[in-house]
Amino acid sequence: MDGTHAPATTRSPYRVYWITWVILLVVTVTMLLAESLHMPRWFLIAFLLAFMMVKATMIGGNFMHLRYEKRNLAVMVAAGILVTSLILFFFIRPEARYVLEHSSH
Amino acid sequence: MHAGETALESHWGGGALPFGASWQKTMMWIFIVTDALLFSGLLSGYAFLRHSIPSPWPRQSEVFSIPFIALMTFILITSSMTMGTAVTASRLGDRKKALRNLIFTIIGGLAFLGCQAYEWTALIHEGARLHTNPWGPPQFGQAFFVLTGFHGSHVFSGLVILIVTAIRTAMGRTPAQGVELAGLYWHFVDLVWVFIFTLFYLL
Repeated sequence: MDGTHAPATTRSPYRVYWITWVILLVVTVTMLLAESLHMPRWFLIAFLLAFMMVKATMIGGNFMHLRYEKRNLAVMVAAGILVTSLILFFFIRPEARYVLEHSSH
Repeated sequence: MHAGETALESHWGGGALPFGASWQKTMMWIFIVTDALLFSGLLSGYAFLRHSIPSPWPRQSEVFSIPFIALMTFILITSSMTMGTAVTASRLGDRKKALRNLIFTIIGGLAFLGCQAYEWTALIHEGARLHTNPWGPPQFGQAFFVLTGFHGSHVFSGLVILIVTAIRTAMGRTPAQGVELAGLYWHFVDLVWVFIFTLFYLL
């Protein structure tokens, strides 16, 4: 250890977990409060989805340490899950509409 | 061109550490991705149900106690924080702190499962089943039991892994990487809950 860098090492290695925990709690409470506000439905959905992604990024990046991993590992995990989920969702959406239209006749 | 090929070779050439991680950690990540796709499929199926039924979906705030669900979320987020602390403590060689935080995480997991058992019991008493429920479309009961049931089973298996890891840590037989791998799985369980909490309980 180089003694000249002592101030940098005094920062607790656990600090990132506490900060992430506080942010996650604040975001969760904000999401719950947003529910009680009378905002347009489309705006509420966009708001909740955006905050959900913020929470997922905080957990993946800070708790699961993805932001410290090699970029190709992070890309494999994040892109793999996101792209497949979006494909799944957008492929079944027209099917759901088809079922809805035929069940209401 | 040659330099580019060299760069690609170093990243994707299938060397000993193509992802800069040990094979155990790489396999855990691949497992997590495949498990995430399972939940992705379940949530897409849930989206399908909500889009395809003509009757209105029940208002979640009338069926569930949202503050209680928020408490469950708080417990899981807190247990993830203690798990992260255990991982770092283990890496720094602080076995006592690692063990203490593993135990906190286990308590958090048990509390979460207890809350889930209470929630399931309350809803079953009110008449919720896989194919029927008093609040409208039967698909609501299916979505609830399947989504939370799968997640709960993951919490349970995570708890088993954590208990084994804690015992081995107490005996000084778990390397830091063992705690890290258990932590990755536990954080994944927390991550999945973030999606279920938003998409099923709030939206």
